[in-house]
Amino acid sequence: MSHLTTETFDANARAALGDVQLRGALRNATSLFGTRRLAAANGLQNWQELRTEARAIKDLVLLNLDRYLAEFVSNAESCGAQVHWARDAEEANQIVCRLANEHNALKIVKSKSMVTEEIHLNVELERHGLEVIETDLGEYIIQLAGEAPSHIIVPAIHKTKRQIAELFTEKLGIEPTDDVDRLTSVARGVLRQRFAAADIGISGVNFGVAETGTILILENEGNVRLTTSLPKVHIAVMGIEKILPRFADLDVFLKLLPRSGTGQQLTTYQSIITGTKRKQSDEGPEELHIVLLDNGRSRMLAHPVTRQSLACIRCGACLNACPVYQQIGGHAYGSVYPGPIGAVITPQLIGLGKAAQLPYASSLCGACREVCPVKIDIPELLLHLRAEITEGQKAEGSRQKAVGREPGLEVAREGRDQDEAVARSGIKKHKMEGVAFKLFALMMGSPGLYEWNGKAGRLFQRLVMRDGRIGKVGATFSRLAPPLGAWTRARDMRPIAQRSFRELWRDGLAEDRQRDQPH
Amino acid sequence: MEHERNNSAREAILGSIRQHLAASAPYDAVHAEGVHEVEPRAAGLDVKPAPSNGTSASLVEMFSENLRAVGGHPVVARNEAEVIAALTRIISDLQKTRLRARRIALSDSPALKGLMRQLNVEVEEIATSPGAAELFDYDLGVSTVQAAIAETGTLVLESEQERHRLVSLVPPVHIAIVDAADICLTLGEALAAMGRGSALSPTVTLVTGPSRTADIELTLAIGVHGPQELHVIVNEGPEIRDQRSEVRGQRSNR
Repeated sequence: MSHLTTETFDANARAALGDVQLRGALRNATSLFGTRRLAAANGLQNWQELRTEARAIKDLVLLNLDRYLAEFVSNAESCGAQVHWARDAEEANQIVCRLANEHNALKIVKSKSMVTEEIHLNVELERHGLEVIETDLGEYIIQLAGEAPSHIIVPAIHKTKRQIAELFTEKLGIEPTDDVDRLTSVARGVLRQRFAAADIGISGVNFGVAETGTILILENEGNVRLTTSLPKVHIAVMGIEKILPRFADLDVFLKLLPRSGTGQQLTTYQSIITGTKRKQSDEGPEELHIVLLDNGRSRMLAHPVTRQSLACIRCGACLNACPVYQQIGGHAYGSVYPGPIGAVITPQLIGLGKAAQLPYASSLCGACREVCPVKIDIPELLLHLRAEITEGQKAEGSRQKAVGREPGLEVAREGRDQDEAVARSGIKKHKMEGVAFKLFALMMGSPGLYEWNGKAGRLFQRLVMRDGRIGKVGATFSRLAPPLGAWTRARDMRPIAQRSFRELWRDGLAEDRQRDQPH
Repeated sequence: MEHERNNSAREAILGSIRQHLAASAPYDAVHAEGVHEVEPRAAGLDVKPAPSNGTSASLVEMFSENLRAVGGHPVVARNEAEVIAALTRIISDLQKTRLRARRIALSDSPALKGLMRQLNVEVEEIATSPGAAELFDYDLGVSTVQAAIAETGTLVLESEQERHRLVSLVPPVHIAIVDAADICLTLGEALAAMGRGSALSPTVTLVTGPSRTADIELTLAIGVHGPQELHVIVNEGPEIRDQRSEVRGQRSNR
């Protein structure tokens, strides 16, 4: 299966909608996690206060990020960790490859990490001739299949156990089975050998504590513990936004993250790592390397709206709550970060021009905002990014270079060639749009015109209706002529009712009402 | 050269952070996001009301209940004899299954050797703190733990206090012994007790139940990479940790 890209979101989404198996799996996963999350949140008396507090802590960190990062680094180093700063993906990958080279490493085990997916670390390591094995069961499955994760928490949610069994039969030579326990134990057996032989373990980081220089990683399987305990070298890759000020702040976030992600009170294991072992004879790696990655994150600090994106703790709750994600799944977003949070983070990381469809992949219903454990206002962010896209197109249209534009946006754009790229992207805004809204305003201001328009619409729609819908999704071509066709490119439209409310009112409702009124 | 690269990357990233925060300042003043009713507090919140009485008996009960809820097996022992009886029963039960429990690896907690000598069940081998490579061949790991959390059924393993990082992880079964006096109510209390600076172990591991995954069709499978069975013996008798402290020195002030 080829990897989908952000630039073809509409087509990706349409293909996903036709995938019956995928949609069944998504329905099961999103509703199960949604129900569990709600039950877990309701199990706490002060869920809302915790969310508010978590966000306040994150805001405090982000507004003083330089200071807290410096504090984190100084404390981590004083406990024996070695810290590496990486401006972008390329630099982070170079650091990891250089470390592998310095240790004459051949075999690497990895635990699940979004940030290493973001920088495509595996590709780079393999290019350097290193063997990299993903050890999280779901990640291992999709690595065997050569696919990308489709959910933050359950990366292989798009695959059935039958497909996984076939994959294991093909790649690992096992007898065909669809017993999940058997498949799990096969993976356990294969991966134990990898753990035993690995030279380096690579993990992500959920939280870094400035006060103590601690990193914390959550998991359920035990592969993070093995990855960070057995090999002689542990490399932890973390985004610069993962910092919390105090050790005690972990209390708040350890209550929110597992409950929001899987509905657990706590995940099975938390590895709370502060530097390296103190005696040579102790257990654990000899070296701990922490790679601090910017890769576009510091740009998001330039405006309070975009800065919210950096509060995200990667729980996946917004995916499960999102009516769009529920239908199309993670692959359609074409990025390692799917769902509502992906729709706002991806364009900021890779540039609006390359992901201009993503901020539109939302009905702005607000479900994501309701479930977010750190109260990120994702709809606000989506609108902010849409505005940036429109601004970019205006600028392109008039060939004017950013005169008098908001300075925040200007800085955020730096080095991204936004305007041109946005104009090239799939979302085309026409002068027609402005005209259309003027006509709309005219119509809404005149009852006669409004009624006439409804009648005309009802006559006209007979020509384009199919199965009671306009522009049926999946139809070979849209019967609405451009530019109206754009409206139905990615969604069905319900037809205008056969009789308008006004007609119903005139024909009887008014009389009914008079009759019902007491005299 | 690498040192220079690292320095210039650090300066670039910190500089970029400062530059973009400065660009944001005019908007921060007018944007509602900066306004929060709740100030971050120094300590965590109390999530649950205190139990009806603060005695360790109710903490033991709450811990056991929450451990059971995540698939762990708690046993309460009133004295050392009951701890040994519980160990004997768990091991002999395991021996009837495919989990065998014939080769047993212990952490370096000195209390364990004495307890295991009194086991009333036959085993092939009992080894203290085998190396990482050998551990893969053991059926069972036994350790004590430094603390437990009642509200979540969680064990707290501090690497500076005991050599149990791998014994609790690699074999397919883990038996942990916790003193009832070391059970605290909330996660927040446990985090506070982990100490600061030198008192904080290089690795603290929180363990809540056996290893689990739902990565295949959301079907729960127990024991994917870590132990598939977790037994916890809660010792209400004289504290086992006292024996430990002779060797390991003063523990953090719990």
